[in-house]
Amino acid sequence: MSMLFRWLIFGFAALLFNFPLLSTLLTSLKSEGEIVSNPSIIIQSPTLANYVKIFEMADRVDILPFLWNSLVISALGAFFALLLAFPAAYVIVRTGFGRNWLLPFVLNLRALPLIIFAIPLYMMFQAVGLLDTLLGLALIMCIINLPLTLALLSSTLRNIPEELDDAARIDGASTLSIILRIILPLSVAAIASSSVLGFVYAWNEFLFGLMLTTKSATPITVGASFFFSASGGGVKWGVASAVIMLSLLPPLIVGLLFYRSIGSSLTGGAVKG
Amino acid sequence: MQVSSKEKFWLTAPITFFLLVMLGFPLLLDLIYSVSEVTFENLLAPRLQGFENYFETLQDPTYWDALAFSLKFGLTASLVQLFLALFLAIYLEPLLARHPWLMAVLMAPMMVAPALIGLMYRLILHEFVGVIPYYLWEWVGDSPAFLGTENAFLTLVTIEILQWTPFALLILYTAYRSIPSHLREAARMDGANSLQLLMLVELPYMMPVILLTFFIRFIDSFRVFDNIYVLVGSGAGGTSTSLSIYIYKAFFRGGNIGQAVAASVLLFLAALLLIALLERFSRRMETT
Repeated sequence: MSMLFRWLIFGFAALLFNFPLLSTLLTSLKSEGEIVSNPSIIIQSPTLANYVKIFEMADRVDILPFLWNSLVISALGAFFALLLAFPAAYVIVRTGFGRNWLLPFVLNLRALPLIIFAIPLYMMFQAVGLLDTLLGLALIMCIINLPLTLALLSSTLRNIPEELDDAARIDGASTLSIILRIILPLSVAAIASSSVLGFVYAWNEFLFGLMLTTKSATPITVGASFFFSASGGGVKWGVASAVIMLSLLPPLIVGLLFYRSIGSSLTGGAVKG
Repeated sequence: MQVSSKEKFWLTAPITFFLLVMLGFPLLLDLIYSVSEVTFENLLAPRLQGFENYFETLQDPTYWDALAFSLKFGLTASLVQLFLALFLAIYLEPLLARHPWLMAVLMAPMMVAPALIGLMYRLILHEFVGVIPYYLWEWVGDSPAFLGTENAFLTLVTIEILQWTPFALLILYTAYRSIPSHLREAARMDGANSLQLLMLVELPYMMPVILLTFFIRFIDSFRVFDNIYVLVGSGAGGTSTSLSIYIYKAFFRGGNIGQAVAASVLLFLAALLLIALLERFSRRMETT
């Protein structure tokens, strides 16, 4: 009986939290005519026409470059963060070097609103030609991902016994080869979850995508809104909904596939950050 | 043989260099520009002028409005999220423990960009084609202007809460699950009922995580930008201008670089203060 109430509350919460997603999904499956005549949650004649139309209007607004930009920016952003954080995490955990300045500094970035740096970064990017480039945005995503990546990596490395390093050293391995041959293979799980989270964070970023791009590096979070005004005259709500659904799919799929590891890493990272 | 100091240097140099270039240098620019007279024309040679920009910002009523909005928004959103998530985490625990995949259903909104959620509500709240006004007209016979001046705050804060309660829920659920069972058994042994168990054992045990969750949610909601920008542009009459939007607007719309930068530095100082508080708090937690 009490379980039944729990199911009810769960169902209610799940519907409430996911309501915008479900409602947009429904709208994207209605014809343009039905959207105007029938805003209810019941679809009279489901259709995929809106999804087809997205690609037919590619001459005015093309969704594919936006998706591609987001993909490149997110993948690079997660990769850069790993590249920078991994060796640092090793040194911090094994030698204590940087434990009192580098680690707390990076972890505290989580609490710093990055808009503080937005204006000077805009000027710097303009000066060096990084404005409206994928590389430029990937560097920003790297900043965003660093706190969680470093937190996850250092807590994982802490659990790798130091005896492994010592044994390899006796066999004459250099620090670099210890990192690459011993530590790296043992931290695959942490690398995977920080890549997943980094990818999701970067894909969903909006502020810097808006400020630092004009057209060639525009990510999908910014590009999606172009479809609201692109059709001339009234908004084509069906197409707009279909665009939103396509835009949210990649991080949603990745995130839900790895939801278990996201749960534990997010709480681990959050509790430490 | 250990990691040599040369190796220590080279392994941490990339991240240090990156942080100096991407955050240190921008902060320096922020500081310089904030005490300079600067326009888009003399960016490379700003003229030092003292604290004029700060005075102007502090005398700008819209700055204070934005600060008040962000504070109110951050506090409301984080407190409601916290209580909602705490209730769900504890009440649904038996269910979620038996069917872990249910958590994935609740987590879905966390994976979606706030900007896209904002776009969704543009449709959902639309007075002619939106589903919420439709049902309100159908059932109540009236529908408010959700993004009008008097309702914008409530609408925006509700959207924020509904998207990010799952985040708080996830953290609090994990914390609740990690309470050692011997604590509960000992309390039961002493004759504690469920309410006493919750108030005297479980909640105190979770308190550090609860406070941390509150801080994280407050900071994230305080700096809100994406969904507000997408839903109401940069503020209908200033009633829904957060601090982030204020800075953005001063720079991109007003071309008022000095003021935007001064506001950034002030925000930085406030964030530092909060971080210092957090550090002190977490250190105390470690020692107790």
